Amino acid sequence: MKAWLLWIPLLVVPAVVHNNVVLTILIFTFILGILAVSFNLIFGFTGQLSLFHAAAFGLSAYATYLSMAHWAISFWLGMLVGVAFVTLVSIVIGAICFRFKLRELYFAIVTLAFSELARLVILNWTTFTNGSLGVNFTLTPTLWIPGRGVVAVEGTTMWYYLSLAAIVLAVFAYSRIVHSWMGRCFASIRLNDELADTLGINVFRYKLTAFVAANAGAAVAGSLYAFYISYIDPHYFSIDQSLAIIAMALLGGRDYVAAPIVGALVLTALPHVIEVNAEARLLVYGLILILTILLMPHGIAGMVARGRRVS
Amino acid sequence: MLQLVVGQLLNGVIVGTLYAIIALGVTLTFGITGIVNFALGAFMMLGAYITWSLTDAAGIAYPLAVPLAVLCVAALGLVVDQLLFRFTRNNLINGLIVSIGLISVIVAVVLMIWTTTPQNMHYVLPGIFRVGGVIVPKMKAVVFVVLLCVILFTYAALTRTWAGRAAYAYAQNPEAAALMGVHTRVLQAGVAAYSAGLAGLGGALYASLYSITPEIGSGYILKGVEGAILAGIGTVMGSFAGGIIIGVAEGIGSIFFPSAYNDAYGLVFLVLILLFKPAGLFAPQR
Amino acid sequence: MRSAVLSLNSIAISLGFAVLAGTASAQDVVKLGEIEAQTGSLNTYGWMSSQGMRMAVDEINKAGGFQVGGKTYKLQLVNPDTQGNPQQALIQLKKMLEEDKIKYVFGPFLTNIYKGIEGYGKQHNGEFLLMGGATQIHYELGKPGNDYLMRTWNWDAGDSGFGTLMVDYLKKKGAKKVAMLMQNDAFGHVAADIYREAFKKAGIDFQENWFEPNTKDYSAVLAKIAAEKPDYLFPGYTDAVLYDIVQQATQLGLTKFWLVRGSLGPALKNKDYIDDYVAYIPKYFEEAQNTEPKVKKFIDDYKAYYKTKDFPYDQAPLCSSSCYDHVYMLVEAMKRAGTVDDIAKVKKALQSFTYDGLWKIRFDATGEEVFNFDIVDVQKGGKITVTHEQPK
Repeated sequence: MKAWLLWIPLLVVPAVVHNNVVLTILIFTFILGILAVSFNLIFGFTGQLSLFHAAAFGLSAYATYLSMAHWAISFWLGMLVGVAFVTLVSIVIGAICFRFKLRELYFAIVTLAFSELARLVILNWTTFTNGSLGVNFTLTPTLWIPGRGVVAVEGTTMWYYLSLAAIVLAVFAYSRIVHSWMGRCFASIRLNDELADTLGINVFRYKLTAFVAANAGAAVAGSLYAFYISYIDPHYFSIDQSLAIIAMALLGGRDYVAAPIVGALVLTALPHVIEVNAEARLLVYGLILILTILLMPHGIAGMVARGRRVS
Repeated sequence: MLQLVVGQLLNGVIVGTLYAIIALGVTLTFGITGIVNFALGAFMMLGAYITWSLTDAAGIAYPLAVPLAVLCVAALGLVVDQLLFRFTRNNLINGLIVSIGLISVIVAVVLMIWTTTPQNMHYVLPGIFRVGGVIVPKMKAVVFVVLLCVILFTYAALTRTWAGRAAYAYAQNPEAAALMGVHTRVLQAGVAAYSAGLAGLGGALYASLYSITPEIGSGYILKGVEGAILAGIGTVMGSFAGGIIIGVAEGIGSIFFPSAYNDAYGLVFLVLILLFKPAGLFAPQR
Repeated sequence: MRSAVLSLNSIAISLGFAVLAGTASAQDVVKLGEIEAQTGSLNTYGWMSSQGMRMAVDEINKAGGFQVGGKTYKLQLVNPDTQGNPQQALIQLKKMLEEDKIKYVFGPFLTNIYKGIEGYGKQHNGEFLLMGGATQIHYELGKPGNDYLMRTWNWDAGDSGFGTLMVDYLKKKGAKKVAMLMQNDAFGHVAADIYREAFKKAGIDFQENWFEPNTKDYSAVLAKIAAEKPDYLFPGYTDAVLYDIVQQATQLGLTKFWLVRGSLGPALKNKDYIDDYVAYIPKYFEEAQNTEPKVKKFIDDYKAYYKTKDFPYDQAPLCSSSCYDHVYMLVEAMKRAGTVDDIAKVKKALQSFTYDGLWKIRFDATGEEVFNFDIVDVQKGGKITVTHEQPK
């Protein structure tokens, strides 16, 4: 796939573009891109609409910060804690949902219910999480750089390369999953899960795997996002966040692993490119969702691919 | 304490009927068009705003403004159905996403016209009923009676009239129904308009009880879907019961537990029911 | 050939733009930034701040600007809408500091926005002044590395705190028991902490009850409160919830209200059902327009500038934070300091005098605003009594 060539120019962007605003938008794009790409695993490739993704995002953010604050560990261990916690929770919730064979709508509603419950817990356990006030902190990830020792990741340029590395790894990882035999099982579940069952595929196990793998990606995104903006609050769990994730995946495209990144870019950059008031932006957001589903069901990437095939 | 519980029981039933009317819209839409239309919450909000502007800005009497608002919202529901949802029949995910996009569009338009400042309708029927030590505001009682009548009417229409039974038949077996002469497209459009109208009615009555902001729809559609699923999508009286259950659970729950967890009761109930009785509490035996 | 002509043309045009841009910067301009939520559900304070600041900047410029150190300056206002989104606000602030090189930023009033930009602001301590009304700013004032911070709102507690003065007012009415019904959010908990102390000192029994911010039906918690028969209800802090709370409370027999935020709207709508409604209003404009010439002028100018017959009486009191007066006060401070660039000097100047505009404003030693306010008492039937308070 020649698509990986597109990544190369991104390496040199900070050297050429000195505009901090553009770099900041790109950083958010990469981190939210991980969120959207991981969502696409359960949504685009396995065909299950999970509304728990934002909760995975938020739970990992809180878990990472709280573990670092209470156990004085490094960011990377903290992220591991976040991912581990989210994985555990996902296994429980996924097992409940898929064991009881919840399909489509019911799966969406139940994942939404669990997401809302998670939000309410974080919101009200004020002694532990500081509730709606959220937490503003100065802890940062640290890297060991040969020649300079342990350095804190601060400033736009460092975050740019960190988030770029993260999204590249994420896309690579999910790409491996999707193109493996696991990925083929996911695809058959998406097309017709009852049929897949009769063909001998353990639907329960693969749905659960997809769900957990997707949420793990969201967890990574959550840790990075929280430490980039140095702030966590219950809004990470909001329904708006879930909807934004869906919009990114749809807009970018469901058929390719990396396509949701395009959706993340458009939605992050849009408010800054089009300087219109909040209501108009909401209107545009809604129209994008409607028009994308009805006219561009394969997203922007899908349109580009089709264009190339035609020519 | 007993007074408190009885009071919350009554209040829960009344608040629950508002959830129930939305649940009814959800259940009808799902049964006949195969999707869950989240935008019913936005239609409810529109019903509230249209009613308020008719009464307070245009000076129309409330009993007249309500049916007018309902008609407007039903008409909008029909238009939206023909323009958008016609292409997402039986496609749950597409329908869900289109309806979510529609919510943003409707909310944005309402924000542009009326801004985010809460609006308050004048008091249509101030005053309270005092029964024993329990207080029930008069207008809440009126809202309950109106909604109950509409739900019973819907039930009767579905079981007694030809159109209603055609709808039932279609929900059971679309092809057979079509073969028997049921005009599928007309039926679907009709149900879309009727569901929107129900939501609009809910909103019109809501406006007489509480202040209105563009965000009121989101909470109600969630509770409406919870109520519909709780009872088992597909039964009219079931959605009524589902809405009531959620309303009462919230009311009684908030006496004993911090009110911060109000929204959680409906959710917990929902998850439990779906796990142990996936077709819903009152689902028809297939 | 054609491409050469095109390139020459584009070079010429670019040079032209460069020259124009150069000339534009030759005029002496002091840029002001404003970082508030002007739209969205949290826009209560931000909208009025934006309205007032735009008017002030326009007035000052129309009058020919202002003079500092022998040079004449005009003002330019950069006020994007944060929409209540911290991520957005951070990008906007970065733009203000790094691209527009703004040194004076007003806002935010919202604590969640402030938390989103706090880290970045601290990194640029010494390069700009952030003058916002957010509650959280109070706790950061005076800490090392926070010289860039100032707070443009009263603080509730302390002897000159307006909260203390309001509790005293309530004590004079003979209240023995107060039930609070507050939003379960950041500000709600801050308010509870402050007033718990204040009521304890005044010897008034204080009970706490909470609700989720988007609640509409309060019958459960109000019934619980009514069962305890308090003298006064201390309800939530925004108009959005007050209309519903007051209506439902009066239905359940709770008819006396004491509060520190919000307009008189809920009181007036329910005037036949309430007994007493004590409100904290930074300025009761309906009365002030007849007694204070500056207020009357402000109202007339507002209507002319925004080409409207309606003056937002219920929003205007919010102009006591990062608004009209503050622009004038900043200009006055720059004049006194003799500089528009030296931020430390300007800040010192801001803390050195009392500005007499729509409000009498001064900044205390930590950089927090102290200003006069009204206690407006509405009784059954709509009778209104206004008490003017001037904290020391």
